[in-house]
Amino acid sequence: VTGIVTGTPARATAVWLRWFVLVARLVVGGVWIGAGYTKIVDIGASVRAVRAYQLLPEGTVPLVGAALPAVEILVGVLLVVGLFVRVSSVVSALLMLAFIIGISSAWARGLRIDCGCFGSGGVLAEGADPTYGWELARDAGLFVLAVICAWRPSGAVALDGLLRGRAIPESSEES
Amino acid sequence: MANKNKSAAKNRAKNVAVQKRSGLSPALIAGIVVVVLFAAAVGFGLYYSNQSKIAADAAVPAGAVAAGGDQNGILVGNASAAKTMDIYLDFQCPVCKAYETQMGPTIDAAVAQGKVKVIYHPLAFLDRFSSTQYSTRSSEAAACVSETPGAFPAYVKLLYGNQPPENGNGLPDSQLVSLATQAGAPATVADCINNHTYSGWTARITDAASKANVTGTPTVMVDGKVIENTQQALTAALA
Repeated sequence: VTGIVTGTPARATAVWLRWFVLVARLVVGGVWIGAGYTKIVDIGASVRAVRAYQLLPEGTVPLVGAALPAVEILVGVLLVVGLFVRVSSVVSALLMLAFIIGISSAWARGLRIDCGCFGSGGVLAEGADPTYGWELARDAGLFVLAVICAWRPSGAVALDGLLRGRAIPESSEES
Repeated sequence: MANKNKSAAKNRAKNVAVQKRSGLSPALIAGIVVVVLFAAAVGFGLYYSNQSKIAADAAVPAGAVAAGGDQNGILVGNASAAKTMDIYLDFQCPVCKAYETQMGPTIDAAVAQGKVKVIYHPLAFLDRFSSTQYSTRSSEAAACVSETPGAFPAYVKLLYGNQPPENGNGLPDSQLVSLATQAGAPATVADCINNHTYSGWTARITDAASKANVTGTPTVMVDGKVIENTQQALTAALA
């Protein structure tokens, strides 16, 4: 009966999974907001962090460095409020994948940089060594969480549910 | 069977209802808003890209040396000295201050003997460590002071001597001005500092340093090669 009303095949997402997805959304979204905020307060540093990887052509470096913080905050807010969870999760996973490739490449080429994930401008603290291993592990963990959210986006407490729920009473009035 | 027909009818009714709402469903509105916000983020990126191109023809202070034709640093010493030393620094950076305190006498002596000329690159890498973008403001002020021959080296020492703590408010412009006159700049330096005359130049040299793969301060090069920040490396490079 549920399937008929919502127009989608009834796919029961286990209760524990719904709550797990909520937590995963909040974790990934929270990290995005934090990472985006620390970058957006100093766009110049964000651009330099992108450049420090020496991967992208110089013509695109300022564009990526300036746009990325805003995109991160936007995706973060969408995940936290649970709006367009599947799309934002896919975007999150793709971005994490890009970061994992970038950090691995920096490691492989022996660059001495900070990942620039949280607004350092790619600058290592004086006397500090790169922590590529930890950065990769963290991004891989976030990647997995994002993939889970993309696979079962119907987590608990999400605006997506509100939008879907709204369509039902209106269509039933018609019949 | 009856149930199936019923459901088909319901679905048709639902489709009609969706069409009747003619693009005003909350989901669609939310979707449009999100797409517009994403476009704004990318648009901001494009705008920023263009801004950084404009900075390329910013005003250049009189003390800026045409090293390689780029005028991205301030020259101290005899321009015809055999060796060239590039010091990439940030007046907000404690390690830069420590470097100047420890290595300053060695560098000054080599400059006085005419063995080396030093090109200072006062970068704005650490703006996030003050609430007032002190890195940028101190770099602009140093550019203003470079207009007075001989005042710049004294100003470097004064700025390090009065270095504000990280995560504070930085020195106010008024103090940047009073230190500048103390270093020998005329009273007119106040206009240059207060009007941020060389903000474009500061942005440009910071960008240029980043493009030269300078990822931290202090970075010290002798004849284009990065040396370690130790007394030993400095002595060897200047020998």
